[in-house]
Amino acid sequence: MTLTIESRLVKAMLQRALEAAPQEACGLCGGRAGRVTEFHALTNTDASGEHFTMAPEEQFKAVRAMRVSGAAMLAIWHSHPATPARMSEEDLRLAYTPDTVYLITSLARPEKPELRGFTVSNGRAEPVDIEEVP
Amino acid sequence: MNVVINGTVTAVDGVSSVTSLLASQKVKMPDMVSVELNGEILDRSLFESTLLKEGDRVEFLYFMGGGSASRGGRAMSLTDAQIERYSRHILLPEVGGRGQEKLLAGRVLLVGTGGLGSPAALYLAAAGVGTLGLIDADVVDLSNLQRQIIHSMADLGHPKVESAANKMRALNPDVRVSTYHARLTAANALELLKEYDFVIDGTDNFPSKFLVADACHFAGKPYSHAGILRFDGQTMTVRPGVSACYRCVFNAPPPAGAVPSCSQAGVLGVLAGIMGALQATEAIKYLLGQGDLLTDSLLVYNALKTTFRKVGLKRNPKCPLCGAAPVITELKDEAPAVCDLRKAPGG
Repeated sequence: MTLTIESRLVKAMLQRALEAAPQEACGLCGGRAGRVTEFHALTNTDASGEHFTMAPEEQFKAVRAMRVSGAAMLAIWHSHPATPARMSEEDLRLAYTPDTVYLITSLARPEKPELRGFTVSNGRAEPVDIEEVP
Repeated sequence: MNVVINGTVTAVDGVSSVTSLLASQKVKMPDMVSVELNGEILDRSLFESTLLKEGDRVEFLYFMGGGSASRGGRAMSLTDAQIERYSRHILLPEVGGRGQEKLLAGRVLLVGTGGLGSPAALYLAAAGVGTLGLIDADVVDLSNLQRQIIHSMADLGHPKVESAANKMRALNPDVRVSTYHARLTAANALELLKEYDFVIDGTDNFPSKFLVADACHFAGKPYSHAGILRFDGQTMTVRPGVSACYRCVFNAPPPAGAVPSCSQAGVLGVLAGIMGALQATEAIKYLLGQGDLLTDSLLVYNALKTTFRKVGLKRNPKCPLCGAAPVITELKDEAPAVCDLRKAPGG
């Protein structure tokens, strides 16, 4: 599976991750036909460097905004300020949303931030190819 | 019936409540779903009782959260069963997975497993506070059961700490319960308090309350005081050296006979439950680092009038314990319990 993401949105996610560090940042990605066209940064109500929780009212607002622009929610994004871009045990346990991509921006190597994506099925993560396009 | 589900008009048959709608949409874990009904977030406790009507707009999304949590080798410690058990906590932004881990790592000592200690012990065990200590020298008496809800008929004559520990372990195997079938004294208090983060004073007499206050001061442990008599309850939380202490307000125990005990004057059983539950709430807030503790305040409750009154307190510069020139410089036992007609039944 491949998820296509516009380059400006990859940068927006990185910018948000850097702003929030050392806390984790989170957000939702919308788009059509496997192509992410919008990114909505949300509040991490845990305000933690090791955990994130999205506020339901912000989730609903973001999803409605996607619908208005003809998009659907394609991915759930968060940052790992100090660990690699891998689904942690907690990420897997709390991956309740079916049929979505889980995106992680890692700042573990500040000189080389990394964005990776996964699908989760039966508690296991499968990598998704990320194609960055202009 | 047609309803708008996540922006799409959908015909739903045999659907009446939000719960049944979620089932019709093959939602596997409705406890982990947020629902908006006609633009308003619907409390999860109302899913079953909220009936849908033609044209309602329903949005639902799964809980979205997670975390790196493995930094420095520290792994997320909650098991699947714990996530389910504590899901209502984890859903609260003020708690979350991290807060629940704090509770599981928390250590609270309950001095007294009577009227105040019973609800506090049950709620702290249910909340998953990982280590709970119980100290009480009494055995369960028939006259206790009117308010000491952790004990039952089968426990009559047995040490209260064992009776309480059995209930807490049955309620939540995550909790490690340490029992001390003894009185808290000046000789054992400081050693015992060292092991705990927070103390709940569930004692039933003034000498013990002053001993708890002094011991927490010398050990530097925050604690929740509460007292009950007839229809009146009072509670305050003390952070030693930071907020007003018990002796800032009540300088010393009253003379023997000046104030009757519950065994003389009576106490409404449920009053103990209300005040003990407030104490448990303070312990949980302290462990989570959330909210405002009941420090520099005395909360006074009257059950007959249903009034809560919060009286502001200030540290007393002349306090014999925490003032500028303290006269109490070491832990001592106060005079024996006052005016008990018979052995006081532990709060």
